[in-house]
Amino acid sequence: MAPADPSAWDRLGLILLASGDPRLASAAFAEGEALAPAALDIALHGVEAATACGTLANTLPRVEARCADNPFNPAAHTARGVMLERLGRHDEALDALEVASSLAPEAPLPACLLGGMLARSNRLQEAEIALRRAHDLDPDNPRVANDLAVVLIRMHRHGEARRLLLGIAADASVLCNLATATANVGLQQEAVGWAEEAIRRSPEAVLGWRTLANSLPYMDGVDGTRLLAASRACSDRLPRAALGLCRNTADPDRPLTVGLLSGSLRSHPVGWLTVAGFETLDPASFRLVCLGRPAPVSDPIAARFRALATEWVDTDALSDEALARRARELGVDVLIDLGGYGDSGRMPACAHRLAPVQIKWVGMQNHSSGLREMDWFMTDRWETPAELEYLYSERLLRLPDGYVCYSPPPYAPDVVPLPALANGFVTFGCFNNLAKITPRVVQVWAGILRRMPTARLVLKTHQFSDPETCAWMLDCFTAAGVAAERIDLRGASRHRAFMAEYNDIDIALDPFPYSSGLTTCEALWMGVPTVVYAGEIFAARHSLSHMCNAGLADWATSDAAAYEALVIEKASDTAALAILRAGLRSRVKASPLTDAPRFGVHLGAALRFAWRDWCQGRQLGHSTT
Amino acid sequence: MDMLQATADPGALIRRVGALIDAGRYGAAGPLLAAARQLNGQTPELNLLAAHLAEGQGQIAQARSEYDAAIETAPDLADLRKQRSSFCHRLGDFECAARDAAEAVLLQPTDPDAKALLGSALLSLGRAREARACLAEASAADPANPAIREALAIATEADGDPDAAFAILRSGLSSAGGALNLRNAAILFCIRHQDFATGIALAEDGRVAGTVDACLFGLKGHAQTSLGQHEAAADSYAEALKLGPDDPYVRHLVAASGLLPGARRAPPDYLRAVFDGYAPRFDEHLIGLGYQIPGAIRRVALEYLDGTGACGPVLDLGCGTGLVGVAIADLPIGPMTGIDVSSRMLAEAEAKDLYASLHEADAIDWLAEDTGRWGLIVAGDMVCYFGALEPLLRGIKLRLAPDGWFVFSVEASDGVDWALLRQGRYAHSKAYLADSLRSADLAVRSIHKQVIRFEAGAPVKGFLVVAQPAPAIH
Repeated sequence: MAPADPSAWDRLGLILLASGDPRLASAAFAEGEALAPAALDIALHGVEAATACGTLANTLPRVEARCADNPFNPAAHTARGVMLERLGRHDEALDALEVASSLAPEAPLPACLLGGMLARSNRLQEAEIALRRAHDLDPDNPRVANDLAVVLIRMHRHGEARRLLLGIAADASVLCNLATATANVGLQQEAVGWAEEAIRRSPEAVLGWRTLANSLPYMDGVDGTRLLAASRACSDRLPRAALGLCRNTADPDRPLTVGLLSGSLRSHPVGWLTVAGFETLDPASFRLVCLGRPAPVSDPIAARFRALATEWVDTDALSDEALARRARELGVDVLIDLGGYGDSGRMPACAHRLAPVQIKWVGMQNHSSGLREMDWFMTDRWETPAELEYLYSERLLRLPDGYVCYSPPPYAPDVVPLPALANGFVTFGCFNNLAKITPRVVQVWAGILRRMPTARLVLKTHQFSDPETCAWMLDCFTAAGVAAERIDLRGASRHRAFMAEYNDIDIALDPFPYSSGLTTCEALWMGVPTVVYAGEIFAARHSLSHMCNAGLADWATSDAAAYEALVIEKASDTAALAILRAGLRSRVKASPLTDAPRFGVHLGAALRFAWRDWCQGRQLGHSTT
Repeated sequence: MDMLQATADPGALIRRVGALIDAGRYGAAGPLLAAARQLNGQTPELNLLAAHLAEGQGQIAQARSEYDAAIETAPDLADLRKQRSSFCHRLGDFECAARDAAEAVLLQPTDPDAKALLGSALLSLGRAREARACLAEASAADPANPAIREALAIATEADGDPDAAFAILRSGLSSAGGALNLRNAAILFCIRHQDFATGIALAEDGRVAGTVDACLFGLKGHAQTSLGQHEAAADSYAEALKLGPDDPYVRHLVAASGLLPGARRAPPDYLRAVFDGYAPRFDEHLIGLGYQIPGAIRRVALEYLDGTGACGPVLDLGCGTGLVGVAIADLPIGPMTGIDVSSRMLAEAEAKDLYASLHEADAIDWLAEDTGRWGLIVAGDMVCYFGALEPLLRGIKLRLAPDGWFVFSVEASDGVDWALLRQGRYAHSKAYLADSLRSADLAVRSIHKQVIRFEAGAPVKGFLVVAQPAPAIH
């Protein structure tokens, strides 16, 4: 009836696509594109049809020819970008979308697609620019707002993200992002509420449970039983493909392939706390394979992982099942998950079983994974004493010293004399994520400050780059009877500057229930000891492990009143503090906390123990893996 | 239907192309440049962008033609001359670089960058005095520019005034303290002139100021080692490795300090780095250390070859500058072939004119590929760069004539089979030497204690080993 009407061809193509005939649909879209080369929706529908036909690679040259014929056709460049991404050619896809977006700067969709791809490529600043442009052009589009909020969350700008998300008509996935942003501005109880609301709306979806398992460890009063239940509920909902038994050779003494599953093998707590251990593993016994998003080339910790690994598999384009198959093809014997249920974590893939031996270690290791396929949980005697073992679904693999090895940065500033000596008052500090600072933490710290009227408190975290978040935090202290001028809120800075700010701090205060991890190690390296309040869950005991490992067990307590008393006791003896500070870096350097060769031996022994256990099980006829 | 029209204005498009080229995103810049050219036609600005894009993509001829087109259109634009001068310099065409830079200076006489380009080109042409004058003017006009200052220091040293060169670097550090390259150049200058204490102090100043650079820590470690500060050097190398984990030289030294699991041999890249840097003063240095091995190998050769007549051909593994060759060249043996990983050491050996042929290769690789049979294989101070000896000895056995001789030296370990020493060399036990030779089907003729050399006046103890293929058992 209307062979010259491109929209008629488009509608026909959509009907054919919906009725399961993508080949004919593809032909219909091609007719429409020829009639209306600038029609973006027809071009993108053509990509969908080619995807459904499995002919993306064959269709691409036709689209590329259209781009070459008319360099001013942003629709063709957009379609090319989407096709290239689906073909796994990420860099070329980014370039194509960049071209489309530059040619049509007033169009929201190319900018949104570009922003999304940049975000997936971990180029967050560029992603924000593209997505903000898309959001400005299309402010009522909830998808664009959500994508922008996710990028802001990843850039630790949780206050902005939360405000953006609160304005969106929410589905479960938006609620999960809102929960994450909310926890990270210090509203942990509300965050758990948002996660629970997401679960109510989609009770069988993994995402809500995953968000709950990630939010609960930050909440006042959480206990291990509740957290384990949430993790198990998440685990129960993970899909599991029937991939069969792992066929690895059950030789207890052969060299092993160890897979490191993480998107954080870079300058990140995972990197700082594990890389030295992996570097000191005996290369004749352990071959390392990295499974995760490759980090920027300029990242020094990522460079150390690259130097160690025989292979680095980019897992972004792989589904969980495909990732498990890939790991099996690589012959991974021992898989170490270093991402958990976090933002870039791929722990759900472990439900398909990547390797006969699977171990949970650093990286959103806030408590038991609850995952029945996770065989072991790397820990130490301080993190998981015998009486807390029942709170873990995994078997515990206790290292003889601490469960991590800190690799201090070469650019750390030198330790300076105790600031209190010059200031005449004590300065407390906490450089942790705001998600760890609960209303109860504020109450306890305010109590300390009320009892020490000259003392100050410095809080430093990304979130305090946001003025609204700062104002809210100061209000919390004021309401608790502490003048705002005694609280110094500091925002983000580069790592060396961050470390240098410990030169203003006399004593670090551990938050609770979610304790400091890397932050305690960094404070120690800068001569600042942390007063610890250890709790029940794994995340509540990180500082305890690090301080004990550095030989400073007398800085730890296990209830709020004792914590408050210990802070005041330590702060009252500035002479002892000054002496401790002056020798603390040397002490930490000589301690197991940074003794990489020693740690490497222990790590190797633990991996070998877990492997031999599997081999023994295989000999006895156990066939669960 | 959502119709998507190109709405970008020409100016925005050109700016975007420039930004994408600067970011190395040539795949995006190319189509946008094509679009910009359709909108604007040919302009010197677009020629310049096209030149940068072509150079970034490795299309050198295309880049040159775009530069030429730009200058043909606007011959009086100094910036175009400067850009082509830099391009020519990167290509190694220093005459062209000097010509364009000189034009740029004429067009813009007060521009320090133009003078700096001219100075750099003249320096590359070996005209140090003129270069120094140009760069001095450039630096005076832009004293905070560390790159110009570094080039001036190089020109000044090349002009025969090292004290003035160091003063330039040093004063640059106080006025442009954050300039990493300048600092490293100053430290390297100190090391080359054996002023290790000043080099360490400069490196330490950089560390305190927050410098994040593997090279700085590596240079500091080198200077500390030179002063015998081995513990401190190990720390410096460990920090260098954190920032430059791909550097085999530093990695081996960190392993040698015990902070990483010991490798089973020193990587060839490590040996190349060490000996390439060492070659011009190697002979003098070893003679200064009372190096004993060439003489010991000569004595063994005399003892075992006495009465057997001529012996050959001779393979000198790790021949270095040819010190062993010098010691045995007058004996009735030969022809001699030398193998070494360091091209600069081989150049020194070649100058001695003792070897029939010299090859740059790793010993194990070379033995695996060689097809000859050797009457005598010597390895003076070479086996000490291998921990586990089995792969090397298997290669020796394969290439040794049935009645051939293998003579080599090693440093002695304290009982363990082999150990990686702090200096990056390995030491071996007598028992391990015997076992590993036996495993390789080589018969031990003698393992004698031998002083290898003297360090700080104390003898470095080792062994001189003589082996032959084990007799076949029928």
